This record gives sequence, structure tokens and C-alpha cells, in this order.
Amino acid sequence: MALALSNAFTAMSREARRHERRTKNPANPELPAYDEEEMLMKFAMPGPNAPDDFLSGAFAPKNANDSDPALKFLHGTTTLGFVFSQGIIIAVDSRASMGSYIGSQTVKKCIEITPYLLGTMAGGAADCMFWERHLGRLCRLYELRNKERITTAAASKLLHNIMYSYKGYGLSMGTMIAGWDKDIGPNLYYCDSEGTRVKGQKFSVGSGSPYAYGVLDEGYKFDMSIDDACELGRRAIYHATFRDAMSGGRVSVYHVHENGWTKISMDDVQLLHEKYMKEAGRTTPAWNHM
Amino acid sequence: MSITEYNGGCVIGMAGKNCVAIACDKRYGAQYQTLATDKTKVYKMHDQLFIGLAGLATDQQTFYERLKFRLAMYSLREERLIKPASFGKMVSTLLYEKRFGPYFIEPVIAGLDKENKPYLFSSDFIGAPLLPDMDTNGFVVAGTCTEQLMGMCESMWRKDLEPEELFETVSQCLLAGQDRDCLSGWGAVVHIICPDRVITRTLRGRMD
Amino acid sequence: MDHLLGLVGDGYALVAADRNVNHSIIAVKHDEDKILKLDNSKLLGCVGELGDTKNFSEYVQKNMALYALRNGCHLSTHAAAHFVRGEIAHAIRHSPKMCNMILVGFDGDSGPSLYHIDYLGGMHRMNYGAHGYGGFFASSLMDRLWRPNMPLEEGIQLMKKAFAEINQRFLVGGATFTLKVVDKDGTRIIDLGEQNNSMQT
Repeated sequence: MALALSNAFTAMSREARRHERRTKNPANPELPAYDEEEMLMKFAMPGPNAPDDFLSGAFAPKNANDSDPALKFLHGTTTLGFVFSQGIIIAVDSRASMGSYIGSQTVKKCIEITPYLLGTMAGGAADCMFWERHLGRLCRLYELRNKERITTAAASKLLHNIMYSYKGYGLSMGTMIAGWDKDIGPNLYYCDSEGTRVKGQKFSVGSGSPYAYGVLDEGYKFDMSIDDACELGRRAIYHATFRDAMSGGRVSVYHVHENGWTKISMDDVQLLHEKYMKEAGRTTPAWNHM
Repeated sequence: MSITEYNGGCVIGMAGKNCVAIACDKRYGAQYQTLATDKTKVYKMHDQLFIGLAGLATDQQTFYERLKFRLAMYSLREERLIKPASFGKMVSTLLYEKRFGPYFIEPVIAGLDKENKPYLFSSDFIGAPLLPDMDTNGFVVAGTCTEQLMGMCESMWRKDLEPEELFETVSQCLLAGQDRDCLSGWGAVVHIICPDRVITRTLRGRMD
Repeated sequence: MDHLLGLVGDGYALVAADRNVNHSIIAVKHDEDKILKLDNSKLLGCVGELGDTKNFSEYVQKNMALYALRNGCHLSTHAAAHFVRGEIAHAIRHSPKMCNMILVGFDGDSGPSLYHIDYLGGMHRMNYGAHGYGGFFASSLMDRLWRPNMPLEEGIQLMKKAFAEINQRFLVGGATFTLKVVDKDGTRIIDLGEQNNSMQT
């Protein structure tokens, strides 16, 4: 134990010396990270000379000309939620893309926070997953302390407060919190890692959201049947997956009502595509084929 | 995003026994927006010779037009069909002509020569030829999902595939490969070049 | 910030473009026509940098007129699309022109057609298509509502829905549009009514 501690202190002082050398000679930040003393220790060292410099470009662009950070998170997504006369519809796709690589087609982007609260996931998968699970814990604690369910407004505010306190730290999430509150009814909030929190009737979040909005706005009516509303959500996500390269996989549809949420359906986009094309009487034109 | 990935798309070529396959996806996009799902990238040069062009769409079109012109001039002068190997050299030369302002495309050529031996060719965008060893690696790939396609080919391909087996293999490789890539997909077209005919089939692919 | 969209219907093709001219943070003009009539059966919608778009579309128009004079026949829509594409593809490696275009035309033998051409010279024939940010909202709407062989009235309705959606969702709202049609009788402007005239300067 003592040996481990002394090793740690040695490492710390070495790091401090290294840092000093770098700051003393800013013109050459790539100074060798070892000195004679270290050479004698003959430790196998990892590649980068200066870990902080090496990592500086990993999560954020290294300079203004770089459009992409070196490390990519789950990014492309289409999610949507809207309030109508019978509650709220939440619909999401299921693709996890890392750059242009498809990491998974079966991601669960709708997070079941409590039996009355749903959250959606867009942006960094880990950020969304962790903080919405954390939110679930907070909501349960609230319920135990106060002997009543937390309202959607309060739950989204809890998440917002966390997001706001981490503003600028590089979290990445865009989420909708949907719930049915006792004596109030359906409530839908949009929260993101910039610290935005807004209440609304109709939201779509993610890279495919412009496409989803196109279909959603056109078909939306407040007085829809539950079936029609589910179909609208499903269609909007499907059309987004068709146009947006980073969205795809399966469309999950949830309905939030008086007694909590119900998962309505989960359809493979491919089957929806074939069904919708058939309904519209459309075939692929042949002019562009060789 | 690199300029060669701007429009998306991929091409694959694979050798069989007295037959050769070439296939492509059908996506035409602008970065992450899909504009059309009926853009094939494989062109017929003559009955036994096909070329697939992956990369930037504008250069695909320009290059194809120039290539067609060169080939027509060759056929007029020589009064015969071009040999696949000569055609490979022609493509290579045409690409190298633009050494200092290259076409951002990667060609894949598949053809049968006079002895019905399969010929495969691919190159980088300034014409460095890559001719696979037909006994151990009878396949070439190009486009936005080359890693995936190469992995599929490495595990699925074997020597002396018959035309129908070749069709099955190349189709599975292409579909599996493009299903792991955002920038290619939305259907596929496969051509199997046999000594007496060309089998062309359109595949149903994922449309997301 | 420009919007350009088009679609093909039963014996006609429609093309629409917004009418704003912006410079820096200033809206310079609200009634600019961005769709040029190339000849009696072709329309070229062109958006991008204003100097490039105007100069290039007129260059195309005049060269096609010259071709017609020299050869006694007009280019087909297909040929015109290839001409435009070729010029842009040449320009991209010499003096790039920031022109995104939709070319629609009507040919006696093959009917209406639409070609989608981007500033790099990538060209593709489509049933409907869009350029610019408006394209994000409009393309999924057209995926949803476009049908083969739509009558003209339905085509116009679809366009109006697309305009409404763009104005509802796009950051810079309040765009007005020019809508033109080409069919066997030639090209016409379609009157979009009152809502479109309120922003004129």
C-alpha cells in the first residue's frame, strides 16, 4: 500500500516537472516526455507525450477548421413527441451511428423513467442513458418522500437543473420528457444539454427531425383517434429514416395516457417502407438504371 | 467528411469459375441527406466487361462520359472489343491524366477475357492498379463501406464459385456490408457476367 | 437560405423557388424570380450565390438559343440537363459556380421530366426533389404525399403545403414563392394568390 502511494507521488511529481517543461517552452510542446531519470526507470510508456494535449482534440474539435471531434458518440437519431386529445404519442427510431458507421440498429431510445414518465434519447447515448436513469431514481425518491407522483414539470426541471449545472462541460443530449400528471393531464417538455427547457405540444429531436416535422405538421390534428395519432408518429419517423442516413432500424411508438404509458408497437422500417410504397402505388422508376 | 464520401455509395466485384460478378448500391445523397434511391453505379462497357464507379457523383459522370468516348475511339481504331486487361490500363491512364487535380472516384472493373477467365481490377483515385490474386482473394471493393465489404468478402468468398453461388455470395456480402454503413444502401443491383449471358438482378435492400 | 423544389405530375412539371435576395443581414429584395425560362418547354430554377446563379442561368439560356439557331432544333430536356451538368462539372475545377438547380421540361415524345443538379455537377433525374434547407422539410412531405400522375391541381396543393411547412419550421420564416409549370402548352406562372403578395417591395 505504502509502495503504491509512493509510486503515485513519484508519478505526480514527474508529471508536474513535465508540465513545467512544457509551459517553459511553449514553442515546442512536443518535448520528449522522458528525462534521464525516467529512462533509468525503464517503464513502458504509452505513446502520446502529453496526454492532455493528446486528448484535447478527442471530445471537442482541435481547432476551428475541424468540423468533427476525433471521438464520435452516438449521434444520428430521430425522435418525436406530440400532445393530442387522448394523451401523448412518443415515437423513436433505433439506430446508433458513429460517424458513418452503423453501430447498432436495435437501440432502445425511449427510456422508461417511471411508469408515468417517458424520456427520449438523442445525442450522446451514454449521457442520455445515465442522466435519465438518475432522474428515475430521483423521481422514485420524491414519490417515497411525498407519497405522491412527481409532476412532469418537476421531473423535467430536475433534469434541467442537472443539465444547466453541467453546461459547457460537453454533455450532449436532447430529450423529451412526457408524462401524465394527476388532475392536470398530459405534459410534454423538451430539455437539452445547452440548458434549454421548454413545454410544448409538438417536438422532434435529432438529425432526422426536419424530415419528421414535415410529415408531422402536415398530418397533425389535436382531435385525433389514438390509432391515427400512433400512425402519424410512426409515419413521421419512417419518413425521417428514409431521408436521413443516420436514422433507421425500427420505429417504436408509445402512448402516454391517464394510467401511465403503453408501448404500442415496434416495427422494422423495411416492412413499413414496403407497406407504404404499396399503398401509394409507387415503384422505383427505371430511367436512372444502366 | 471527405469529398469521396459526399454522395455515398459502394461497388463490389467478385470472381467465380468462368464468371465474374459486379454489384453496387443505389443511394444518391448529399452528405447525410438521401436524395434518390435509384442511382446505380455500374456501367456496361461491352457484353463481357463492366465498370463500377464509387465516389463523387459528378466525377463518376464526367469520368464515365470520357471513358465511353475513349473506348469508342479504341473500338473504331482497333475494330474489335477491348480486352479487360487493356481496359484496366486505359482506366488507370485516364485517372493518372488528372494526377494534380484528380477525379474523386474509385473504379472497379469486372470482365471475362477470351478464355473466360475472370478479370478484376480496382484502383485508387489516381490510377494505382490493384489486381487481386484470383486464387486467394478473388474480390475487390470500393466506396464508403470498404472495411465492411472487405470483411464480408474475406469470410464468404471461396474459389471456383458457379454463377448462382457467386450471385448469392456477392449479394450477401454487399447487403451485409452496406447495412452497416449510413452512406450506402437503399437497394442494390448485381450483374453476373457469364460467357454466354449476363444475369442482372435488382436486390431488395433496407431503405434506411 | 434559398429554397428550390420541383415535382413531376400527370403531363406537367412544377418548379418553385423562394423570392428573397439577402445580403449579409439585409433582405435586399422580396420579389426576385429565380426560375428562368430556357425555352418554350424548359424552366431552370437556380439558387445559390446570386451573381453566379443569374450569370450562369442566362449563359445556359443564351447558349441553348444559339444551339437552336445553328441546328434548327431545340435541345431535349435530357440533353439540356447534360449540358448544364457538363458546364458545372467543368466549372467546379476552374471557377466554381455556387448554383444548385432544378431543371424541368416537357418533351413531345417523353413527357415531363425533372433533373436535380447540384453545384458540383452531380445530376439525377427524379420525380420530385428539393435543394437547400427548405429541402429538409419539403422532401419528407413530398415522400409522404407525392403520387404518380397527380393532376395539376393536386400538384399545386402539394407545393402549397410544402411552402407552408417551410415557413412554419424554417428559422427564417415569411418566405414567399414563385411557382411555375411546364406542360404541353409551354410554361406559365401559377398565381399563388393574396398570401404571396403581401411581402412585395
